[in-house]
Amino acid sequence: MGEIIIKSYQEHELNGIIQIDANVCKGCDSCKSFCPANAIDGAYGAVHHIDSTKCLQCGQCLVNCPFGSIKDTEDPLAEVIKKLDDPNITVVATIAPAVRVALGEEFGMEPGTLVTKQMYGALKKAGFKIMDVNFAADNTIMEEGTELIAKIEHYILGIPSEHEMGPLPQFTSCCPAWVRYMELYHPNLKDHLSSAKSPQGMAGPVVKIYGATEIWHTEPEKIYVVGVYPCTAKKLEASRPEFTAAANYWKKKGHTATYQDTDVVLTTRDLARLLKQKEIDLRMVEPATEQDNPMAEYTGAGTIFGVTGGVMEAALRTAYFVITGEELANLNLTPVRGLATVKEAEVSMKLKETEKEIVLKVAVVHGTKNIEPLLKQIENGTSPYHFVEVMNCPGGCVNGGGQPINPMGTSWLGTAKAILPWS
Amino acid sequence: MKYNYVEKAIQVTRREFVALIGIAAAILWSGAYAVTDVVQDRNKYIKMRTMGLYKDDEKSTIRQSHHNKSLMDMYAKLAGKPLSPMAEELFHTTYIDRTKLA
Repeated sequence: MGEIIIKSYQEHELNGIIQIDANVCKGCDSCKSFCPANAIDGAYGAVHHIDSTKCLQCGQCLVNCPFGSIKDTEDPLAEVIKKLDDPNITVVATIAPAVRVALGEEFGMEPGTLVTKQMYGALKKAGFKIMDVNFAADNTIMEEGTELIAKIEHYILGIPSEHEMGPLPQFTSCCPAWVRYMELYHPNLKDHLSSAKSPQGMAGPVVKIYGATEIWHTEPEKIYVVGVYPCTAKKLEASRPEFTAAANYWKKKGHTATYQDTDVVLTTRDLARLLKQKEIDLRMVEPATEQDNPMAEYTGAGTIFGVTGGVMEAALRTAYFVITGEELANLNLTPVRGLATVKEAEVSMKLKETEKEIVLKVAVVHGTKNIEPLLKQIENGTSPYHFVEVMNCPGGCVNGGGQPINPMGTSWLGTAKAILPWS
Repeated sequence: MKYNYVEKAIQVTRREFVALIGIAAAILWSGAYAVTDVVQDRNKYIKMRTMGLYKDDEKSTIRQSHHNKSLMDMYAKLAGKPLSPMAEELFHTTYIDRTKLA
């Protein structure tokens, strides 16, 4: 076998995070049906292999493999523990929305149990400072929403703009697997992506600039940001060379160090392992509210970023207010909720100055393969939408590739196997 | 004498034959239907986690991003307003054509 050539990554970007263990793989083809990028090779019955050049690192194959043969090979636990033990380092955990409804499963709770306070308590006990990514999600809405409004003003209302802006429809850019899909399979349409970074992309600079000066009063070089995400692709995203905004900011102020905005990423599963290693039981730990911590303030709009339709709903709540000058009467936008693969909605808004009415057409897609017809529409110039949300994982981040693996209820087969004649 | 066995053809009426096929099909399909239940159940945890986040939204006193006071503080002290030059520098990015990477 020759050397495997891996393309499609920039220098220093993590690749090959998701790997199939050849000793465990049964060649059952399940993973192939969950892979959004057709990145898995291997005939039915033969050992399968992931082609990292094509792979989005989303981990859907991993959480759905019936035999547990697929692994997340990027394990920064030892490094994080070393940093936690270093008294000179402020270790800040930034925690994504979907982690708080799944972390409990690793400690024997029902799926969906909301454990925000226990999670804060456990993280503090382990020695972390806390920044909630929900805060960064609110931040993302302000940037992404303002960008959308600027495009609407420019392209629909014909107001000249001093900003350079991409075409409509605007796509969300929060999901790193989706962004990689666009960059790799449809680079001709990449200008449709919102230029706003993902919440992870915003959380890092906020911690290392605003957090350093206003909250924790320390040098940015002494802050170590540990992202906690329901996602394996976030490990890749954190290593993007573009995500060094804090270091660039401080270099202008005379600092010299170079570092990533988010130093390292743990998945929900990784965090559970860390807590168990430190003998912290989520069920027993003293809960913390973090009410006096500005970096942990978040709104309902920020928290629903973790479900399909959530980013859209959050964006419309703010866009509606900015465009009309009034709050939405009903904050629950039910047409964008639920597990239908493509959801559509129309929101009509009266402009606050002119009373002119515009109708905003939006679409929400989850499961990256389902986006193809909408991309075709754009290429044909027939896309009716202004704003499209895409999340790679079916159901959104709550079902991300870094989440606790949900057992399939098939473990009894292992015991039943004992009656087989050859065992 | 040469042994010459000929199996007797099954004696069923057309009506009985259709009934037997129906019963066999019912047994097979109910098994298949039970499998769809298992598949449906595979999505249950997704719905449960989703409900958890919607619950978090509903119990929040503030439900719109532009009302996050600490975030507005951050804008006042660091980034100005959304899409300001500082916000562009810290919170916006560019994308690359990955087919061109060697």
